[in-house]
Amino acid sequence: METLIDFFTGTLGLGPTLALSLAYATAIGSLLGFITVYAMFAIWMERKVAAHIQQRFGPMEVGGWHGWAQSPADALKLMFKEDIIPSGANKVLFWIAPAIVFCGVLAGFIAIPFAAGVQIVDIDLGVFFIIAIASIEVIGVIMAGWSSNSKYSLFGAVREAAQVVSYELPSATALLAPILVVGSFKLGDFNTYQAEHGWIIFSNPFMWIALLVYFIASLAGCKRAPFDLPEAESELVSGFHTEYSGMRFSFFGLEEFVSMLLVSAITCTLFLGGYTLPFNFLDVANLAAPFHLLGVAVLIVKIFAVIFVQMWLRWTLPRMRVDQVMTMGYKYLLPWALFAVAGTAVWHVWMEG
Amino acid sequence: MGSVREYFSNIANGLGSTAKGMAITLRHFTSEPIITVQYPKESLPIPPTYRGMHILEQEKCIDCHLCAKACPVDCIEIESVKHGRVLEWKKFSIDYKKCIFCEFCIPPCPVDCIHMTTEFALATDNADGMVEDMLTWTGLRPEDQAKLEGKASPKKPAAPAPAGGGEGDARSRVAAMLAKRKKEEG
Repeated sequence: METLIDFFTGTLGLGPTLALSLAYATAIGSLLGFITVYAMFAIWMERKVAAHIQQRFGPMEVGGWHGWAQSPADALKLMFKEDIIPSGANKVLFWIAPAIVFCGVLAGFIAIPFAAGVQIVDIDLGVFFIIAIASIEVIGVIMAGWSSNSKYSLFGAVREAAQVVSYELPSATALLAPILVVGSFKLGDFNTYQAEHGWIIFSNPFMWIALLVYFIASLAGCKRAPFDLPEAESELVSGFHTEYSGMRFSFFGLEEFVSMLLVSAITCTLFLGGYTLPFNFLDVANLAAPFHLLGVAVLIVKIFAVIFVQMWLRWTLPRMRVDQVMTMGYKYLLPWALFAVAGTAVWHVWMEG
Repeated sequence: MGSVREYFSNIANGLGSTAKGMAITLRHFTSEPIITVQYPKESLPIPPTYRGMHILEQEKCIDCHLCAKACPVDCIEIESVKHGRVLEWKKFSIDYKKCIFCEFCIPPCPVDCIHMTTEFALATDNADGMVEDMLTWTGLRPEDQAKLEGKASPKKPAAPAPAGGGEGDARSRVAAMLAKRKKEEG
């Protein structure tokens, strides 16, 4: 971010206010571009992973090579589709719900460090900020479900509210364990710590429990199978976005994949070394100027590894029942997250003190 | 103590069964062969007894109309003129809008001249195109034609021009199939 501001003030000789706004616009624009390309690729990847797990090919026609252009073609189609608003719907809420859902997830990326210096803002309470801002999504989903004036949408929204709010407890608690190790909420500090001391996942055995709990809870937070109860197409038609069509519908689909990216980025940054390489055999963060961007590639590879596991799990497990989801959250994940935090605290006092 | 044991066995079962399931799906993802085919480019073999579009071996046909009588939906229409011992074909059409592919027309044929092929892709955007002409020629040899024209009977082009439109339509595919079958039979 500082490099960008320096570029606009120094090289182009602009005033500080203009430079600052231009720098933020550039950063957020490139972030949006990255997210769009990522989402198209992720949707294609999801279809391919699903297909190959079921011994199919998946999309093969559009674009020539293994149907790589299927997602852009679908996006184009959705853009031109009619945007139907049910006559009984609350129009204002119906309109803004997809935007709120999408913005809530998108805002989380502000604090994610993609490489050394490639971070829009290194917020002091970065982890806290991401957890908090990603919860806005729930409000959007409830708005979508309620304003649709359809019982299936409302059921989906209520399930979403119950599920996501419940699973924020274990996920936030599990994230306390790496925060205890590093002693900071700042996401940039996690990378510097892990470059020095190795990945946090190897710092103590309790961290594995924390990672597992966070991974499961984040799946529920993304509404991914086996926790896709808010959508539950066999029970609720399509859950909270039953009544949506066209571009607004595609925002909900996009949001699912973008929130997968967000939680995977958090998983990688907090547990799996961020943009540092294993054992830090090549100090990516301190390479000469353009090469420190290699960290972006490292992080993206790690993120896609986590996303692949999410997809793999989705095509392995059937959907859970509502009471099973609640049992899982409160009776299994939350106690184990607390156990992991307590274990981490004791371990580090024992080892270091 | 029972409930505590149940709690931990639930965790073990959950993790164990998930791991087992993921191992299975990973095996399918990596090593199991893909079993679907890319349909328009390749297709699974269709059994030879499949009841698809008909073909008529016109030179065998004796104009007995038994197939048309057997048809439960009356989709076969036959018209012909007899010039002494020479048979002139006017029409032998099957209306695929009506045809139910029941195969009832096949067994009654005394000379075994009507068959069903494996051709099933009959979809078209034109309902008139669903009435398929089974005839490949009028049944008149050039000398018969000359004789008839001498008698000043209704004129009919003598050329054995196969009916049907472009390359891709079902009729021409069936014609190609018939030609291939004849070649194999020698």
